[in-house]
Amino acid sequence: MVSRKVSRRRFMANTAALSAVGVAAPFVRGAYAAGKLSVGFWDHWVPNANGATEKLIKEWGEKEKVDVQIDFITSQGNKLLLTTAAEGQAKSGHDILAQNTFLPARNAELLVPMNDVMDQLIKDNGKVNATVEYLGKVGGKWLGVPATVGSQIKGPCSRIDLLKKHAGIDIQAMYPAGEAPKADNWTFDTFLKAAEACHKGGNPFGIGLGTTSDNVDTIGAVFHAFGAVMVNEKGDIVIKNDQVRQALDFYKKLMAFLPPDVAAWDDASNNKFLVSGQASMIMNPPSAWAVAKRDAPQVAEQCWTHGFPAGPKGRYAPFLPFFWCTWNFSKNQSAAKSLLLYLSQSSSAEKMVAASGGYDLPSFEKLTTFKTWAEEGPPKGTLYHYPNPHNHQILSVAAAPAPHKIAEQIYNQGIQTQMAVRYFKGEPLEKTLDWASGEIEGFMRN
Amino acid sequence: MANAAVATAGAVRPLRYGSISRDRKWALRWSYFFLTLFAIFFLMPPFYMLITSLKPKEEIAAITNPWWVYAPTLDNFIELLTQNAYMTFFRNSAIVSVCVVIVTMLISVIAAFSLARMKFWGSATLATGVFLTYLIPDTLLFIPLFKMMSWVRDTTGIELVNHWWTMIILYPTLTVPFCTWIMIGYFASIPKELDEAALIDGATWMQTLTRIFIPVALPGIIAATIFCFTVSWAQFLYPLAFTTSTTELVLPVGIVTTLIKGDVFNWGQIMAGALLGAAPPLIIYAFLMDYYIAGLTAGATKG
Amino acid sequence: MADIVASSAAARASGRTSLHKVMQRKSTIAFLMALPLILMIFILVAYPAGYAIWLSMLNKSMTKFVGFGNFDFLFKRATFWEIVLQSCIFAITAVIFKAIIGFVVAHFVNNIPTKGQRKWRGMLLVPWVIPAAMSTLSWLWLFDPSYSAFNWIFVHLGLPKISWLGEAGWARFSVILVNVWIGAPFFLIMYLAALKSVPEQLYEAASIDGATWWQRIWFVTLPMMRNIIAITILFSTIVTFANFDIVRVLTAGGPLTATHVFATWAFKVGIESGDIPLGATVSLFMVPILAVAATFILRDISKRGSEV
Repeated sequence: MVSRKVSRRRFMANTAALSAVGVAAPFVRGAYAAGKLSVGFWDHWVPNANGATEKLIKEWGEKEKVDVQIDFITSQGNKLLLTTAAEGQAKSGHDILAQNTFLPARNAELLVPMNDVMDQLIKDNGKVNATVEYLGKVGGKWLGVPATVGSQIKGPCSRIDLLKKHAGIDIQAMYPAGEAPKADNWTFDTFLKAAEACHKGGNPFGIGLGTTSDNVDTIGAVFHAFGAVMVNEKGDIVIKNDQVRQALDFYKKLMAFLPPDVAAWDDASNNKFLVSGQASMIMNPPSAWAVAKRDAPQVAEQCWTHGFPAGPKGRYAPFLPFFWCTWNFSKNQSAAKSLLLYLSQSSSAEKMVAASGGYDLPSFEKLTTFKTWAEEGPPKGTLYHYPNPHNHQILSVAAAPAPHKIAEQIYNQGIQTQMAVRYFKGEPLEKTLDWASGEIEGFMRN
Repeated sequence: MANAAVATAGAVRPLRYGSISRDRKWALRWSYFFLTLFAIFFLMPPFYMLITSLKPKEEIAAITNPWWVYAPTLDNFIELLTQNAYMTFFRNSAIVSVCVVIVTMLISVIAAFSLARMKFWGSATLATGVFLTYLIPDTLLFIPLFKMMSWVRDTTGIELVNHWWTMIILYPTLTVPFCTWIMIGYFASIPKELDEAALIDGATWMQTLTRIFIPVALPGIIAATIFCFTVSWAQFLYPLAFTTSTTELVLPVGIVTTLIKGDVFNWGQIMAGALLGAAPPLIIYAFLMDYYIAGLTAGATKG
Repeated sequence: MADIVASSAAARASGRTSLHKVMQRKSTIAFLMALPLILMIFILVAYPAGYAIWLSMLNKSMTKFVGFGNFDFLFKRATFWEIVLQSCIFAITAVIFKAIIGFVVAHFVNNIPTKGQRKWRGMLLVPWVIPAAMSTLSWLWLFDPSYSAFNWIFVHLGLPKISWLGEAGWARFSVILVNVWIGAPFFLIMYLAALKSVPEQLYEAASIDGATWWQRIWFVTLPMMRNIIAITILFSTIVTFANFDIVRVLTAGGPLTATHVFATWAFKVGIESGDIPLGATVSLFMVPILAVAATFILRDISKRGSEV
């Protein structure tokens, strides 16, 4: 009894201290947060990046006298998705679980609203982009806190030397470190020409067309850049339009210059293609570069992360956010919220970004200018343009603006990449559209 | 091509004695030649597993001769074995497999005895039923089982999802039918006179089972045990669907879901992990190969 | 529990002696001994199987009974028929090749002197012993698009690279290849045992009659091995048809849906896409096809048995 009182008093003091540094936490104050908390976070792809999160959580746990158990769950092979589905079904599981893209919306009814936390964070850290809002806020309810860990822009990562050699493009001049991009010429036309030249030179672009997220994200951004909508906000199938046809035509041209087996690529394939020195460009956050830095330094030195080429309807880049969510059957919701607040502070986010070598991307406006991105190398400045510091591209997610339930299926089943592959393999365009339309009808089942 | 070898060996056989022995010699050479080819095919993946597990990270990332190790290292094994997670997977797998073997053998030996020798109303139907159980794959059962588990939790408060010991309840559904089937075959082949004599001497059914049937059918029991262990060790779908926490995973799922990380270049460790994971069944097999084979074949032919 | 049954049986056995009662008691004991098996089959296999049928008749959110709505929905989809076809091609081709390779290799092993057979048999059975998920991992690495060790050899022989898992045809080939690799040793062992049980005199008699090697295989070996061939094919068909591990680890159904089989597609639809009733419906399609295979082969065995 005595010890419990002490810890409670201590907790109150800590909460007070926390508010003092500028993070007011009305919903935690007075709540009994001490006890046990289990968190399931995304298992990071950058070597050793889990360490920062682990350390931050330990610090918090010691301060709050909460015994935190951390699981790192990989998203490879849909493990994270399966875990989420299992816990949602079983109505038990981690108090905080990282859920990516469409999962919070799928589980909307099972998640604790995070409006109080988000109001505070937006006040402190600035606004979030429209994609985060589309994915994380349903019916005015925030379903989770956009996580720093794992959230990513999947822009191009190019080989400086190979682009110069094969396509005559100086990507560093286009995207100079520390300066605004000078990339007006960086359009789909330039991109296609470069793809062709690099393919001829024996170092094709490594853009996958499997059904995993890297591949779907890329084609999603391309669709947006053509203004190609398959299902509108109201849930009507509008797939038979010229924008969709243009996007597919573009992909048909592009695929001729890609490696022959891209249809089977998963999230790891493009990385391996880059690290093995064969690729002149892949679409990936800096994890591939980080791995190359460790295992193939001569490749890493030539990598440059930059922005997407612009299409007829604008310059779109794929953004894949993770959310930290709490189930409504969690036994320790107040402690969970307190931890989330702690992890989302600027100082915490900065540590995570640093540990992940710049991979992790906070969703809040004011948190995109950390030193890590400017300083990481070699080559120095390679990540400067990764967090989109000049708001030069519009962050998007594939299948938006369709209603979440349908968009999730389009995304998970990789309908867009499947369409591209079918069309490329010689299926008539209208038949491909019919096929996709039929699949999407299937997603509308109740 | 393979048949051609047999052809040259067989077609000229009914000739003079000397040529028969010369043909035999050629048949033998061809046999060895093709056996070597097949052995290369059959052993190549495990061999490749071994050499990859001995390579340092840089060597895997570089495009060099994949069939050779230039700078062998045990780093992958050391890193793996000093990781708590891997040891946890190993421990979970070991406990689950041993428990499943015990549970399975208790259920199936006793049931097989009763079905093969004692007979009761519906016992023939049950024997067929045991066989039919085989037709219902785990891939059909895991969805309803999952829903049943949440029912158990709602009514009794016992949480079955995300615990490694749940596998001890589930795996017997995969092992018991086959083991019972093998054992029915074995028991049926034991001469009726043996147990009739024992019963006349006043032995109970249970004594007949433990004193006569089990010793006589021991090779079959060992074979069934090995089968049972191999199946439990290798089962993939149930743990994939029912466990998620790192502390609750068993080996195959642990390796596939936690060692393969999308962007990280981990193949040295993955191969080391797979190799160590394959070791227990391989070791058992190396020492008990004859039981393994005898039981497998006898169980299947006589059933 | 076994002991309790035994001792109570012993206690009662010493009491009464009437033949009828003994018989009655014997069947009661027998029933009790089989009870754990019965309970297990009913609770963990029969009930969930029935429950799966019930689930397959609910709507996606499991709130409404829709009868055969899910089946109707599946029948109208091209993807479903593609998967039916693939599952069949996959199972049939793999089983045939396993049986042929097993048969041929068994003959080679049987050809060499007995004292060397053990060693060869030991080596050739290794793929069957390694857990499938783990050996498939090494195949996955052998097939890797960027680091394929096979392609390395091909390139050095001046042959073009093959995208093993990237093109529908090759991906199907690869999945079947791995399946054959894992399953052929089982056939090998079975056939080897069967070959040994064929009496040598039959071959001698055939030789004296001037039979060719082909006639000896057709008229002596195959009829003698008929039962075991049927049994192994039955087993292998079941295991291959319901296979999950290999496809899941190797291709996860891709490229597109070119290597999905019932099990992996049910997993994809039911668990990953959260449509449990539809997943249950897909997986139910494994049952009738397997049941047909089983009755067919079992009937054949009993017919052969009564002829002999």
